[in-house]
Amino acid sequence: MQWIEEHWQAIALVLLGGGIWWLLPRSVSRRRIGPLAASLVGGYMLARLFPADSPVGESFLFFTFAGAALLCAILMITNRNPVYAALWFALATLCVCGLFWLQFAPFLAAATVIVYAGAIVVTFVFVIMLAQQSGATAYDQRSRQPLLATIGAMLLLSLLINMMLASSPDDLQVAAQRPTATAAAGALSVPPDQQSIAHAPMRGLGRSLFGDYLFAVELAGTLLLVATIGAIAIAPRRSRGTL
Amino acid sequence: MTGDVERYLMVGAILFVLGAIGFLTRRNLILMVLSAELMLHGVSLSLVTFGRVHNNFQGQAFTIFILTVAACEAGLALALVLALYQKSKTLDIDFWSDLREPGLPSHRVAEQAEELAFVEPPPAEYPHLTPAGREPKAKQLAASKRS
Repeated sequence: MQWIEEHWQAIALVLLGGGIWWLLPRSVSRRRIGPLAASLVGGYMLARLFPADSPVGESFLFFTFAGAALLCAILMITNRNPVYAALWFALATLCVCGLFWLQFAPFLAAATVIVYAGAIVVTFVFVIMLAQQSGATAYDQRSRQPLLATIGAMLLLSLLINMMLASSPDDLQVAAQRPTATAAAGALSVPPDQQSIAHAPMRGLGRSLFGDYLFAVELAGTLLLVATIGAIAIAPRRSRGTL
Repeated sequence: MTGDVERYLMVGAILFVLGAIGFLTRRNLILMVLSAELMLHGVSLSLVTFGRVHNNFQGQAFTIFILTVAACEAGLALALVLALYQKSKTLDIDFWSDLREPGLPSHRVAEQAEELAFVEPPPAEYPHLTPAGREPKAKQLAASKRS
């Protein structure tokens, strides 16, 4: 028991990475339930590294959304069928939107659902329909360098976790108790009676977008226009070839 | 509050890393683009969490711009994928490995042998409908076969 607590983070990383490595597509088909459960347990152990004192309801919602996001993401990157992968990606998007909602970003949650699940995933499914009509293919049945990729990714994750552990909790608390400092500096966006993002999230975001970031919003609109023209120019015509 | 914040950052980090694994290991062009979108989700979640910690809207505004750029990126990437598919008739990224520097060792020697052994699953069996209507005369049948 002592040993487990000493090596808590390493055990969690090995469970998560080993589960993903086992699930990545290979020429032989393998059992999926066990490694999936192992990765979920690893993710839960990683979350337990940071004890939180949030209320029970919020904690329950967080673990539901975060666990579902982890599950859908793992199933997405390990699925052999691109269509199923796109659908798991849509579910992962919905779970991330739940996490946005928990963090006082309801507009962002709605926008992400509309843009990702409504537009991007549909476009992906359309392209899969156009490009891969023959069904199962050889290159979907095998992954490239699964062991090296998993080990490298887990090293990156442990680096990020240790950075979070090394940052003292006082930094975050000081930042959280200082709501007016940045608001006073950029007084255009947030009036003094609405300094908290929990108070009026939509209104504050709108003021911030069309006050502080007006030029950037115009630039983003231009970017969308340019991307539209570029996509139409790049996409192959029917008259020149077949699709 | 503090541990709560770091849990959200942890989920963002895990999503980013999972997207990275997908991008590195999958060989389907479409799935690689999809994994990049998963990495963007992780970054967006971290940005929203930072915005909540500092109690301002900069994180959320930044995430909206990420959303815009992700939509542009998906459109352009899928147009490129379609153009590449038209040239090669396959979505395999290894088809384009000729673009790399010449003379490097290939990591695909072991994989190619197994790939040759890949048997395509048999096509699905659909029920055959019995042809309806009057049976054509033998002379008409021969005429239609000849033409």
